[in-house]
Amino acid sequence: MDPEAAQKARESLELAFQMSNILDTGLDRHTLSVLIALCDLGLNPESLAAVVKELPTHTHPTQPQQQRRSTDS
Amino acid sequence: MEEEDHQKVSDLIKELVLRLLSQNPTSDPQPTDPNSADFANSHRYAFRILSSRMTPSIAPDAAAIAESIKRRLATQGKSSEALTFADLYSKFASKTGPGSVNNKWAVLYLLKIIAHDKNSARTQLLDSSVLLPNLSDSRVSSRKQKGWENGVLLVSKDPENRREIAFREFVNFVKEENEVREEVLVRDVLYACQGIDGKYVKFDKTADGYVLSDLVKVPRATRIMVRKLCELGWLFRKVKGYISESMDRFPAEDVGTVGQAFCAALQDELSDYYKLLAVLEAQSMNPIPLVSEKVSSENYLSLRRLSVWFAEPMVKMRLMAVLVDKCKVLRGGAMAGAIHLHAQHGDPLVHEFMRRLLRRVCSPLFEMVRSWVLEGELEDIFAEFFVVGQPVKAESLWRDGYRLHAGMLPSFISQSLAQRILRTGKSINFLRVCCEDRGWADTATEAAAAAGTTTRRGGLGYGETDALESLVDEAAKRIDKHLLDVIHIQYKFKEHCLAIKRYLLLGQGDFVQYLMDIVGPELSEPANTISTFKLAGLLETAIRSSNAQYDDPDILDRLRVKMMPHGTGDRGWDVFSLEYDARVPLDTVFTESVMARYLKIFNFLWKLRRVEHGLIGAWKTMKPNCITSHSFTKLQQAVKLQLLSTLRRCQVLWVDMNHFVTNLQYYIMFEVLEVSWSNFLSEMEVAKDLDDLLAAHEKYLHSIVEKSLLGERSQTLCKSLFVLFDLILRFRSHADRLYEGIHELQARTMESSLPSRDKSKSRRQLGDKSSDPGSWIGEGRKALTQRAGEFLRNMGLDLDAIAKEYTSLLEGFISQLPVQQHVDLKFLLFRLDFTEFYTRMYQFVYNFLNLDGVAFF
Repeated sequence: MDPEAAQKARESLELAFQMSNILDTGLDRHTLSVLIALCDLGLNPESLAAVVKELPTHTHPTQPQQQRRSTDS
Repeated sequence: MEEEDHQKVSDLIKELVLRLLSQNPTSDPQPTDPNSADFANSHRYAFRILSSRMTPSIAPDAAAIAESIKRRLATQGKSSEALTFADLYSKFASKTGPGSVNNKWAVLYLLKIIAHDKNSARTQLLDSSVLLPNLSDSRVSSRKQKGWENGVLLVSKDPENRREIAFREFVNFVKEENEVREEVLVRDVLYACQGIDGKYVKFDKTADGYVLSDLVKVPRATRIMVRKLCELGWLFRKVKGYISESMDRFPAEDVGTVGQAFCAALQDELSDYYKLLAVLEAQSMNPIPLVSEKVSSENYLSLRRLSVWFAEPMVKMRLMAVLVDKCKVLRGGAMAGAIHLHAQHGDPLVHEFMRRLLRRVCSPLFEMVRSWVLEGELEDIFAEFFVVGQPVKAESLWRDGYRLHAGMLPSFISQSLAQRILRTGKSINFLRVCCEDRGWADTATEAAAAAGTTTRRGGLGYGETDALESLVDEAAKRIDKHLLDVIHIQYKFKEHCLAIKRYLLLGQGDFVQYLMDIVGPELSEPANTISTFKLAGLLETAIRSSNAQYDDPDILDRLRVKMMPHGTGDRGWDVFSLEYDARVPLDTVFTESVMARYLKIFNFLWKLRRVEHGLIGAWKTMKPNCITSHSFTKLQQAVKLQLLSTLRRCQVLWVDMNHFVTNLQYYIMFEVLEVSWSNFLSEMEVAKDLDDLLAAHEKYLHSIVEKSLLGERSQTLCKSLFVLFDLILRFRSHADRLYEGIHELQARTMESSLPSRDKSKSRRQLGDKSSDPGSWIGEGRKALTQRAGEFLRNMGLDLDAIAKEYTSLLEGFISQLPVQQHVDLKFLLFRLDFTEFYTRMYQFVYNFLNLDGVAFF
């Protein structure tokens, strides 16, 4: 990316981060950047929010080791 | 490209999961192993979620989302943050071109949802009643590592945390204020309305009411409402107190039947009230069945609902309390009357309630009336009835035995009805006691049947005053008729009245004549030498020799001689009187005072008769053929003239007096006695009960007394009349003397002219007569003439004196007659002076003598 774009991206991220702080979402910069990227790629923001909500509490006790599956379809 | 995208997506997702897991504060502190099972799990889960919802549910409008976020911030009270956010958003939105975020709306929406989830997660952890959650202690410690305190910048000003303490106290205070719940208050109010102290609502003696203690924290509105509802409790307490007090006094026989009935009626009303309270208490536990399930329902009975339910009982209880206050000191008929006054109310609820109450309260009274009217029984232990009886002798039973007690007369029984009730019962008692008659019992049953009720108890009730009136009327009619029948037929009232008129009022002329002839000489003696026994014998003789002997022996039995109490110097004439003995039951009519008046009239009439009798006696001696003029031929002319003139004057005076006495007698006999008697007879015919009879007889007697000038206002007239009578009697004695003297003279002269063979006879006659030493026997003719002249002169002077006195007295009497206001004496005046002889003469005399004086005409 060219530095201008990078700059813009950085600023956007900063702004988004500040907004998220105002809204008290508890997200840090890195997670937010990932989320923004995912949103940009067209993922449903509702499902992303659900992931953000569910995942930290979703801890399974001993589960059998399973193969990582590839997302390539 | 797609593959690239996919690869990017999965990488990003992996990254995201990693970050999120490492963020989780509850996970173990070591860094998450991307190859751990947990991670794989989470990864899979995340993927599943992400693939489930591919399309968003809202419109992709960044501005709208930004607006909504702003609004939410503002409503949460973070208005400055809202402004900042707006600022940031505008900057964010302005960034376009490469390197910027393309799906801005997605980002915003994402942030929004995350924030919302975070908020709802947080609020669920908090207590619902805490108002300032951000300052609770637990929160403060956990977020210390962040710079931000849940979005609020904490600037510590007070090192001792004074603010915190203050806020904590405020929180506690608010907690306490809501402590007393409404259901508890409702329960307390229900207890208070039964007179029991509740947990918070207690009876306060000083304030005299049920109060909610000041220490309890309730809102002011609730406090006021509780106080209003507790008024019912206060009223209840008052009523209950009265009832229990009365019941305590029952054994002391202080309360009376009406009071007992009143308590019973109140207790019935209270049992209705208890029923209502029981229902309300049961209801107070049930919640309201509501349609929607979301809102949690409270209990059915709130204070407001209670006030609606209590509206009607409050009215009734207030009424009862007012009545209780009124009736605390009353008893019997007065109590019934007071309650009746309160029943005059327009409100149908009140009216119905009072009617029920009064029906019960007045039933003992009506019972008493019924038994009094139909049986003459006075069952009144507690002195509640308005008829009171007192023990008296049989003869005053009618007049004084029973009377009305106005204090106990209830206001729904009118005065006239009460009089009728009194009279009916009195008649029954009179019949039973004085007349010894048993026939009235049938009349009672007849009366009851006619009135439509029975003679048993409980026939009548309050509100049926008409029924009571008709019963009383029927009973009164029959009993009165029965009583009058008994009085007239069995006891011959009319005959007795007639007998009294004939004997005491000297109606039986021949009897009176004989009596006077026989008793006359006896009565001239001083009073203390006369024996009643002898007079009684003379009375018998008189009766037997007149038409009175054919009268009913029962009546004649009752006629006796009575000598009034006399002082010295009284002659028999003054103290003699006749008496009629009227026994029970007629002595109700002929009481002592009545008989005393009869006596007075008798005395007057007797005196009049005596005067008349005296004049008639004088007339007998004045018969002209006793004095033949030829016997006086021997006398001198002057003496003869004198004799003649004296005789003439005597005769003239006699005629004058006779005229007066005859006319007075006629007036008394016919104008007064007979007229009053016929009036009395006609009134006796129409009299409906004994009271009417008594009144008629009273009127009869009164008219006689007034018209014969014996009343109080005719005192002066009466006195002058008696003086006239005395004068007339004096004249009689003078006339007697005159004629006696003339007879002697005649005998003297006859003796001297008689042949000698009769001289001895006449001398013997004279010898009988001449007992006095101053006789003329043996004197000469001249002496005789002189003597006669002197005698005649004296006599003449006496006669003149008498005549003058008589004239003046009569004039005085006659002049007073027309000015009497209270009694109509014009008939008497007319009789005495129908030619106006006297008035003209007096007028002439006075005018002639120029005397100013008595005004007449």
